[in-house]
This record gives sequence, C-alpha cells and structure tokens, in this order.
Amino acid sequence: MAISAPQLGGQSPRRVNFVSCPIVQDTATVPCWLSEYEGEQYYLGIQTDISAEFDPPYLGHQALVEGIVSDEPRICGGIVLKPVTVSPLPELDQSCSVIRPAVPQFTVPFAPRPPGPSGGRLAFDPPSSSTADLKPPYGARSFDVFYDVDMLVMGRHAGQLTEIFNYAQKIPGARLKIVAGRGATKLSNGRVLTEREGIAKARAEEIAELFVGAGISRSAIQSIWRDEAEPADGIDDWRSRRVTVRVEP
Amino acid sequence: MSRYRSTVFVMALLVWTGLLLTPLMWSSRVAAQSQASSRWWSAGDGRTLPATLDYVNPDGALGILNTAGPIETKGHPFFEPIGTNGRACVTCHQPSDAMTVSAASARERWRETDGKDPLFAAIDGKNCPNLPQDDPASHSLLIERGLIRVFLPWPPQKADGTRIDPEFTIEVVRDPTHCNTDPQYGLTSSTPTISVYRRPRMAANLKYVTAAAFGVAPFIVKNGQPAARDPETGALVSMNMMADAREPTLRTQAVSAAATHLQIAGQLQASQIDRIVAFESQVYAAQRMHRGAGSLVEPGGPPALGPAALASGSTGTLGNNTTRFVFPMGDGWKALPRTGDAATDARNASRESVARGHDVFFFRTFWIRDAMHINSVGLGNPAKRTCSTCHGMHMTGMDTVYGWMDTGTTNLPWARESPVSPWATQVAELPLFKLTCKATVAPHTFLGRVIYTQDPGRALISGKCNDIGAIVMQQFRGLAARAPYFSNGSAATLRELVDFYDRRYNIQYTEREKEDLVNFLSTL
Repeated sequence: MAISAPQLGGQSPRRVNFVSCPIVQDTATVPCWLSEYEGEQYYLGIQTDISAEFDPPYLGHQALVEGIVSDEPRICGGIVLKPVTVSPLPELDQSCSVIRPAVPQFTVPFAPRPPGPSGGRLAFDPPSSSTADLKPPYGARSFDVFYDVDMLVMGRHAGQLTEIFNYAQKIPGARLKIVAGRGATKLSNGRVLTEREGIAKARAEEIAELFVGAGISRSAIQSIWRDEAEPADGIDDWRSRRVTVRVEP
Repeated sequence: MSRYRSTVFVMALLVWTGLLLTPLMWSSRVAAQSQASSRWWSAGDGRTLPATLDYVNPDGALGILNTAGPIETKGHPFFEPIGTNGRACVTCHQPSDAMTVSAASARERWRETDGKDPLFAAIDGKNCPNLPQDDPASHSLLIERGLIRVFLPWPPQKADGTRIDPEFTIEVVRDPTHCNTDPQYGLTSSTPTISVYRRPRMAANLKYVTAAAFGVAPFIVKNGQPAARDPETGALVSMNMMADAREPTLRTQAVSAAATHLQIAGQLQASQIDRIVAFESQVYAAQRMHRGAGSLVEPGGPPALGPAALASGSTGTLGNNTTRFVFPMGDGWKALPRTGDAATDARNASRESVARGHDVFFFRTFWIRDAMHINSVGLGNPAKRTCSTCHGMHMTGMDTVYGWMDTGTTNLPWARESPVSPWATQVAELPLFKLTCKATVAPHTFLGRVIYTQDPGRALISGKCNDIGAIVMQQFRGLAARAPYFSNGSAATLRELVDFYDRRYNIQYTEREKEDLVNFLSTL
C-alpha cells in the first residue's frame, strides 16, 4: 500500500473516503462500529453474525472507509454511511483500541441478532445464488471477487468461491479465465491509496490455486493480472480491488 | 520419579480412594470397574466390553454406552496389539478416561508397570525417541500432562506428498525435550520434522465430530481455502477430528494412527479399518453421575446429559440458539425446593449451580478479542458474545465444522508459560517456536509478523500464517474423566480451564460464576 500526494479532481460531496481507527461503541445489546474523520463521527454498522453484509473491522488495525453520507438519523452518535465499505489495513496499529462503554443515549434501532445465542435463525437470509436456478445450456458467466486492501482471499469469500465452483461444475470441460487487479482509492483528502505492488499477481495465482485445490484441473485455468493500479476517482474505488473469474464452456 | 511427581500421584490416588470410600449409591458395576486393575484396558487382554460401563472419577462417574451391545474384544483390531510396539488403539483411548487417556491414568500406568506398558513406547510416548526409555523424566509430558508426541514433516506436504511453500519461517527457541534440535529427529535432520505435544482426542461421540452438515461447503468459511474431502468418496468432510485437521476421515485416521502410534508392519487391512471405524462410531461417553448433583440421567432431568442422550442426539446442528441449545438442560434444575433433608437440599443446591453454570456458558457476554478464525469471520474484533459463540455445536460444544481457531492456548502471550526469574523453580516443559510471516504475505491479523508459540497447530498442515496456533476445538463431553485440558494439557483442572479464559478475555467472572461453570462442565 502506498499513499501518493494530493491530486486534483472532483468528488461527490456526499462521499467520504478515509483511513482511520475504528471505534467500538457498546450498547445495551450489540456494539456499534464507528470511525472518526476530520472531527466528525461516522456510523459504519453493528455486530450481527456471519450472514450480515457488513463485516465489522478490527481494533488493532486502521481501516479504509469508503461510504456515502446518508440522511438517516444518527446511530450511536455517528452519521450513517450507507452503503459503506470498510477494509481493515493489514498491518497492526495498536493505537486503534477504543471501546466506549454503553450509555443510555445510544441504542441500536435495528438489532436482528442479540450478542449471544440467536432465536433460531441467522440475522439475515443468506444471499440468493445468481446461478442456482439457471437451466442448461450454461453460458459464459463472469463473477467479481472484491478484496480488502492488500489482502488475499478470506473467509467471507468462501460463499462466492463456492458459487463459481458450483457453476463451473455444471459445465463439462469448463474453462476459467482469471483476471486480477491492483486497486487504488482516492481519499477525501485528495491523496490516493494504492495497493502494494505484486498484489494482482498474488491474487491471480491464489485464486487459481484455490480452484485447483477444490478439484478443477489446472489446465482449465488461465490467469492474468494487471499490476498497474486502476485510476482512482473516489467513486466506488473499492471495486478496483477485484478479481474477475469468467467461466466459459 | 521426582518428589513432585510422587506427590501428585499419591494425591490422585487419595482422591480416587476417597471416592471409593464415599458412601454414594454407586452400583456394584461402578465399584467393580473402579478397581485399578480393571479400569485399564491393556492391548489384547480379551475382555468383553459390555454395552454399558460406569467408571468413577473425582466428579462422579462416567458412563460408556456401546450402542451395538457387548463386544468381544479378543481379535478386535481396536483392542488388539496389531502393531509392532504392543499398543492397541485402546491403549490411548481408554473407556475409563472417556475414550482418551488422562494424565492420572498415565501416571498410574507408569507406577503399575514400572514404565513397561506399551503406552510409553519410544515413538511418541516419550518426549523424544532418543531419550533413555526407563527414565520417567523421558516421558514427563505423558506422565504429567497426558501429552503424546506428534511429529510432522516440515515443510508441510499435501495429501499427494507435494510440498507446500509455507507463508512463514520457523525457528526453535526452546527445546526442553531435545527433539526439535535433535540431529536425527529434529528440524535440521535429513527428514526435517517438528515435534509438538498434544492430548489424544476422545474416540467417542464421533457421529458429531464427523458430521458434515451445517457450514460444510467446497470452500471453508473461515479462510476461503478449499475444504478437505473423503479420498474414497469425494464427499466434503467436517475437518473437525484432529487438533490440526490433518486427517479427513476416521478411516484415514485409523491408517495413519496404525502407522505412527502402533508402528504397524505393513498396512491395516480393509476389514480391520471397517471394524475400528464401526466401533468408534457406536461408542458414546458422558458423565452419568455427579458428586453433588447425583444422577444426571434421571427421567425428567437435563436432556443433554448422559451417554444415551448423545447416542440419540441430532448431528451437524448449530446449537448457539434458544431453539436447539448447545447443551439442552431444560428448566427442571433452575429452582428446586428445599425439603429440610440435608442430603436432598445439598443435591438440589448443586443442581441449581449446574443450571446456573449452563447459563453462564450460554448467556454471559464478554469481549472476544484477537481470536483468529472467530473475530475474523464476520463478527469483528472484538465481538461481544458468549462461550457458545465458539463452542456452538449441539451436544458437544465443538465448532460445527472446520473447528480450528486460536483462543490463545498455545500462542504467546496467552499460552501458559512457566515464570522465568532468578527465583523460579519451575522449568519449561514444552518447546517454543518463533514463527515469522514472510514479507510477501500479510502478517497474522491479530498477532503481527512474529509469533511465539508452543504449537503452531493447523499452520503445520496448511502453512498459512493466519493458522498459527489455531487448534480444532475438542468435545466438552466426559470432561471429568479426562484431565488435563486443552490440546497441550495446560489446564490441570476445569477450574484452571475457566481461569484461563477469564484471564484471556478479561471476563471478570465472579467466584460464583466460576464455581457454577465448573460444576456445569463437570456434568457433561
């Protein structure tokens, strides 16, 4: 990861992209996740469970926050960012250690999962598969896999990798074309945060190895990567931290 | 035997003897099986294993249930010394110890046989094969902590024998067993090998351990890596059986164990594997009687308790919810009457403590922090949760699948270490390794780039930095029969186990919560 000098360029006033420590705000139920930037406090999400789209960050790490400022009422004292992408940075930063105790004025209006055992179901319905209901003949299809900054595959990618794998299994002799990228994000202060050199190659090779490990023939996989970071304009730049897997008959 | 070891042995014997003399209403069957000579199942002793057995332990009595009925062990490959070193599977999977082997039993066996029992075979019943066989100090980890040497190739290899390029380097920082630096057995030998020391796992209740249901998928939800498959059927497996998940099925484990622990000449025959797996799949172990709460299997009692409940329970089920529960206890023990009869009232008070202990396990929140493969899988770091978040499998308290995580039992700074000072008398018993994640990969999410550990755990198989010190969780059943606890035997008692978590996560349990939790765990 590298951060370059500020560049000129427009940016939506309702977007904020920044690197900062996450903060835990405890409540009477589940904790809120917040972050501060330029004197303002932003609400990122709450702790629920593995079914949630929001993947809470880590104390002990700074995080890249890329979000759109919503007009919803503040939650846990923070301006609500929706949608928001939160990506922990890989290196440890022990200064990120703040847990604020629960106070009466901060409550969570939407807590589908208590901090302990559930009521018998996950907080959210699992995302529907985009391919499960398809009927043959199965055509070429592309799948985007998005990453945290400078990171490779993590647990939250398992579902998506399974969907790609299952789709490939439906097509006798399917071929996989893997295209991996190196991301960059234009921050609200004008700087550009660029992922580390070599990350695209590492992602391409890892994805290929994972599918081989799951049972797809190595000879059916083609991997390419672009080590030039995609141009960053501050708008949904998280999409540049991406591998595209195209499954072809 | 050192004075310390002698003292420990004598104390264990006194506890045991005291229990035998305690005027509890054990059945004659319990008393009979509590005699030292009949508790231990020697390889090839040819006894009949009845359908049910009870064994006294310091917290009451363990029940063994063999759902297939009595078994003639003569000629049975689980019970016969089918290898070259005189051991059988049963040597390290003793019915009295909930189908594993406790440190107390190892000590007793050393005393009874003067160390000649095959349990103490040089291959892994000794701290390192090249140490003097007759010296109890050579077997100290087995005698004092119930640990077996597990020796693994370095770098790790895939099932097909191809080498894995690990994400980290490994150095031996401390080698009290002299095995990791040994020119024949160590890391610098012609066949580089790492020795770690682990508790044998229960060979009982295995339908839960091997169930591949909730959470099983081609890619592992904890790290996105491909999940292991049964090499015979291609079916996905739970990867929940061994501390490092290195064997996918009971069949492959039997083959591997025969080759290493039993030092079999040649290979197990298919029919032998079938019989071993069949036996392991039909035997259940759980506490049946509790020193304070009395019978755990009375009609109307807690539905989770006793071996029969395990035999009839549903597998592959997430129990971290209020519809199934990890350990269904019912409400019957929550508020019991006081009758004026001292014995009944004491029993009722104990049962209420057990019920409260369950609720501590299930509902008492705390901040789970820096625990790899828990905080990293969608909960955030820290996560405000309970014991049952990690220990969520219905009826066993394991993770439902892919159960390795780092709760700090082997990685520093949390792993139990002996104090080092000019005044300290304890000496370190376990090796210590320094693992450095390579610059080409991200550091370990919660421990950084340099990690000190007593046992790298799953990372010795996967080569992954984030797997360092991650250990597959064990069952919570039969705990009273099989101290010590954790994969490295670092908690001598259930109280030490609870105290470890209290320190690790700054839970700040009250004394009553600790007592209740220990009472609850000792009924499982």
